[in-house]
Amino acid sequence: MILRLNTDIAAGVFGLAFAAGLWLPRAEMGRLSILFPRAVLVIMTVIAVALIIKGMVRPAGRQVEITGSPRRLLVVMASFFVWWFAIGELGFVVSTFVALLLLTWYLARVHGPVAWSRLLRWVPVIGALVAAFYLTFTEILNVRLPTGLLF
Amino acid sequence: MDMLLQALATLMTFESVITVLVGVSAGLLIGSLPGLTATMALAVLLPFTFSMEALQGLIALGAVYMGSIYGGAFTAILINTPGTPSSIATTFDGYPMARQGRAYEALAGATIASVIGGVVGVTFLLILAPPLARLAVAFGPAEMFWVAMLGLTLVASLSTGSLLKGLLGGCLGMMLSTIGVSPIGGETRFTFGYPPLQGGIELIVALIGLFVIPELLTMAAEGRGALAQEGRFGQGEASIRQIFRRVLGKPVNLIRSCLIGQIIAVIPGAGGNVTSLVAYNEARRFSRDPESFGKGNLEGVVASESSNNVMVAGSMIPLLTLGIPGAPPDAVILGVLMMHGLRPGLDLFTESGVLTNGFILSMGLAALMLLPVGLLGARLIHRIVIKTPYHFLVPCIAMVTILGTFALRNSLLDVGIMLILGSVGYFLRLIGIHPAPIVLGLILGGIAEQGYVQTMLAAVVDPIPWLRLVHNPLSMVLAGLVVLATTTVLLPAWLERRSRPDRKASERGGET
Repeated sequence: MILRLNTDIAAGVFGLAFAAGLWLPRAEMGRLSILFPRAVLVIMTVIAVALIIKGMVRPAGRQVEITGSPRRLLVVMASFFVWWFAIGELGFVVSTFVALLLLTWYLARVHGPVAWSRLLRWVPVIGALVAAFYLTFTEILNVRLPTGLLF
Repeated sequence: MDMLLQALATLMTFESVITVLVGVSAGLLIGSLPGLTATMALAVLLPFTFSMEALQGLIALGAVYMGSIYGGAFTAILINTPGTPSSIATTFDGYPMARQGRAYEALAGATIASVIGGVVGVTFLLILAPPLARLAVAFGPAEMFWVAMLGLTLVASLSTGSLLKGLLGGCLGMMLSTIGVSPIGGETRFTFGYPPLQGGIELIVALIGLFVIPELLTMAAEGRGALAQEGRFGQGEASIRQIFRRVLGKPVNLIRSCLIGQIIAVIPGAGGNVTSLVAYNEARRFSRDPESFGKGNLEGVVASESSNNVMVAGSMIPLLTLGIPGAPPDAVILGVLMMHGLRPGLDLFTESGVLTNGFILSMGLAALMLLPVGLLGARLIHRIVIKTPYHFLVPCIAMVTILGTFALRNSLLDVGIMLILGSVGYFLRLIGIHPAPIVLGLILGGIAEQGYVQTMLAAVVDPIPWLRLVHNPLSMVLAGLVVLATTTVLLPAWLERRSRPDRKASERGGET
């Protein structure tokens, strides 16, 4: 998908918004703590303004290309965040098993519908994979993974 | 010398050799999968080193690094898709060779060149790092500030093509580095009243987020996609001895490519893609038969692969002496050093000399291991690369990424930060702000802040305090280099613009 977007202006606006977001809380800090961030924020603002001016006078690119399916991109991005939230609520094993199975199914659909029999064949493979990683991290690497519903 | 021998003895144990072998094989496998970079390989395999001792962990990651850079050549040659960005130039001649049924010759040539490059890089590192570390002692706060600025300017200009966007990325990284407790004032900054943010943003969390997540999202969006026409192993190809003779028969190409790789490797953040492209270009320029480049010339493969493997050890020079990564994967190594309480600088070569030399020598061993692992595993890796379905690969890498991030500090917040940085990083990359300057800004932010604030404190009674930043010859030279680095980026564009009206005028003149 090709989006019409002046990349210089977009980068400049992002820089200004980021600088503004961090400019406001600086008033509560002491002189030594704010000395460096303030200098960087000023430089960042100057660069962002320069980018906006450059975007108006001599823009570098007027379009951006999202390769592949933007819908799949957004779905996978959102699913990562849901997975993260679910780890805290359901625990690592349950949430990861479900996330892995759903993501594999969703991505496999690119090549056509996925039959139930194929999906069922993946269940033990994904189960073994999650169990192997769970045991490696908890038993060998001594990492306490989040627990929830079952593990 | 004693330390070097002790380090060699430490390395020559069964455990260390197996660690190198497993590391090289794992790196080779990950590096050979298209879209999975060396940084990703290191980040994904990092948690497996947590339970190891410092030296063992560093040996494993050094071997993974060496293996993954070399692994990129496999897909570059076989399916015209560089496994890692550092193998871009390998596709130019490697793939045409594979299409002609000379895949084995290209792979063996790439392997021999990688081994030579790897060993040369380690030799440079052993020779250059200790004296440079001694020189680094002369660097005060002002000098460190300028070194940080120099690194940032160079990476901003080299890695993105747009100096302003690169610098903006660097500033973003530096601001991210200020989140948490201030190193000098001791106050909490930019936590927005959320106490868990006091710990700041862990370097490796940002690294995984900015480098791995955008790649995963791209892979997911693109799906498996159509693989380019796959190269093939021909019948009756040249023997390994003949290929050795062909590679070593052009020593000038090898030496030139290694030197180019080493020089670029020292530039912070430049990375293997820059080294291989420059080395390839120079090989073609100096060749007696430049027309054959791009059509299956082994010299092109050798130039690209030798230079990018020199970079692996070569880029450790600024990392081990000044704490500034020469290439993005080095940032993971820096994270591991810091996790074990090791600070780059002279101490690494004196107090921790055995460990540092052991790590350096292990990279040499890893380079030598490429030869048997690469040559024996070529056909197996070819099969894995072609057969692995992406719908399995993406969720599995995501799982390892989440696990690795969580395991760093047992923190789910880190996982969230990683995902947020990764998602934002994806969109930033679309508008031309690349992850390398952001990560380098994050690393250099702390160095630059300490240098800047300490200099300003020392200059509190000066009429113009910031002049203290350029008060001695060394800081003046470094400041001059920052200006030079900026102008060398801007100059070609300015010259091109200036020559445009003349060209138009001459064209008009020619028409009349």
